[in-house]
Amino acid sequence: MTAESQPARRGLFGGFRREDLAALVVFLLLAAVPLAISGYVVYILPQYMLLGVLAMSLALLWGYGGIVSFGQAAFFAIGAYAMGLAMKHLIGLPINSAYLGILIGTIGAGLVALLIGYFLFSAGVRAAYFVVATLALSIVVEQTVKSFSDITGGWNGLYVDRMTLTLGSMFELSLFDDAPIYYVVLAVVVPVYIVVAALMRGRFGKIVIGIRENEDRMTALGFNVPLYKTLVFGLSGLLAGVAGAFYATHAQFAHPVNAGVLFSTQVVIWVAIGGRHSLLGAFVGAIVVAALSNYLSSIEAIQSYWPLVMGLIFIAVIVLFRRGLAGLVESLAGKGPHGRVAGH
Amino acid sequence: MAALLVIEGLTKRFRGLVANSDVSFALAAGELRCIIGPNGAGKTTFISMISGHVIPTSGRILFKDRDITRLPVHVRARIGIGRKFQTPTVFDNLSVYENIELAVLATPTPRRGRHAKIMRTLDLVRLADHSGQTVGALAHGARQWLEVGILLAGEAQLLLLDEPTAGMTAEETHSTGELIRRLVRELSLSAIIIEHDINFIRDLKAPVTVLHLGRVLVEGSFAEIERNEQVRSVYLGNA
Repeated sequence: MTAESQPARRGLFGGFRREDLAALVVFLLLAAVPLAISGYVVYILPQYMLLGVLAMSLALLWGYGGIVSFGQAAFFAIGAYAMGLAMKHLIGLPINSAYLGILIGTIGAGLVALLIGYFLFSAGVRAAYFVVATLALSIVVEQTVKSFSDITGGWNGLYVDRMTLTLGSMFELSLFDDAPIYYVVLAVVVPVYIVVAALMRGRFGKIVIGIRENEDRMTALGFNVPLYKTLVFGLSGLLAGVAGAFYATHAQFAHPVNAGVLFSTQVVIWVAIGGRHSLLGAFVGAIVVAALSNYLSSIEAIQSYWPLVMGLIFIAVIVLFRRGLAGLVESLAGKGPHGRVAGH
Repeated sequence: MAALLVIEGLTKRFRGLVANSDVSFALAAGELRCIIGPNGAGKTTFISMISGHVIPTSGRILFKDRDITRLPVHVRARIGIGRKFQTPTVFDNLSVYENIELAVLATPTPRRGRHAKIMRTLDLVRLADHSGQTVGALAHGARQWLEVGILLAGEAQLLLLDEPTAGMTAEETHSTGELIRRLVRELSLSAIIIEHDINFIRDLKAPVTVLHLGRVLVEGSFAEIERNEQVRSVYLGNA
């Protein structure tokens, strides 16, 4: 009996200290990129990082909460269009219109998620039915954006300016060039990661894991399960909204494609490949897969086959490494909670 | 002793089937009570109405003088009603420690006091040596005890135990009886236990309520129940 005794705090909740170190390495590498190289990579990486945030928004929902969503693109698009429309229309105010766009996009996406989550979860909608509802949400947002073309530009998309950083009238920095916006995006992504990782490691995250593991037990313990599900979905929408707002000003456009089912599905693939139980895994997964698709689709010989190649990689990961890249790294590193949550 | 739980005329109909009919019942604070009865007597339905998993067709349930008849499960849990299910309902993929930790997180225990409380609970249910182990790999008896530990850590005052010794060896059953008696005494808890194992019930030395066809047939000490002609005929058929 005593031979079994272990340090009490290890397991699913603890033992993430390795991931902190890995995150530090990833972010230091990202910070070093513009110092070492210039050109296309410095242009495109911030967009990938924001897709990484979008992936994290799904990982905390899916990996921690066991709730799959095919609607993440909808929240991303709400952020993106809020940003574009605010920068276009909310000008001449004492506040920087880009700041308003970020605020409206983030809070708006979060509120929409809270509202939808509230209705679905308090009605007891679970599993596949919830997936269908999120799928529908993607379609609704995509169609809305397409239909109101006077405002949104419809299929042509909406042109969005690069934002300017301001601090009252004392400080102004244009983010038109790639290097400054690179670091601004990084300065957004890093704290977002730190805050979300800390939240999911604390009481809130543990409760969400508990709900994934055994909803009936959590209810019988006194937890308001629909409330927590709603909150985690709201947080997920909020994160996707932030990512969308910054993405729009970086890519300088917002497009209905960014709201669609196809894009939502890509998010699911990034997270599955990166590892849904790890926020960092999802973040890195999105960057790697997005870069890879971009690269593969630029090679003329396989241009038309690259979705097929991506599909094969996806299937291989699902079959061979159910915990994704993060799980692979974990088992290569030796320790870690082996397969403990596999199958969820 | 003041009554902790008072039940008046509780009835539950599932379509045509009457699972419980006009059941009245009282449990004092600090009391241990066994509920027995043949299959289909309505024991689990009765417990489910106290925990909130089943809402009665008519009747009232008062817990600490508060009408809880229609409160949702999680609200009842928060005011001190803890249920152990017939099949252990625990977090199989988490460690023993994490299972208890989640129960502690349901209480207002400050962050600093959590670890000590978890370890205290693990000591109470004798699982301290297994704290790092994944629950799915535990023996059946240990999982049952863990679920009791979850109720304790969740600060339940009334334990509803649905067949806590199901699937246990005779020895495990015996020590489970001891554990429950000790917990009720030392932590001044109350408990309602559904059981089939007659030796276990005798060991508990607690008053027994016999349910039959959804009604209270008789209540009394184990010795009285054992002698009762009606109870004998219910269990043995019309002898």
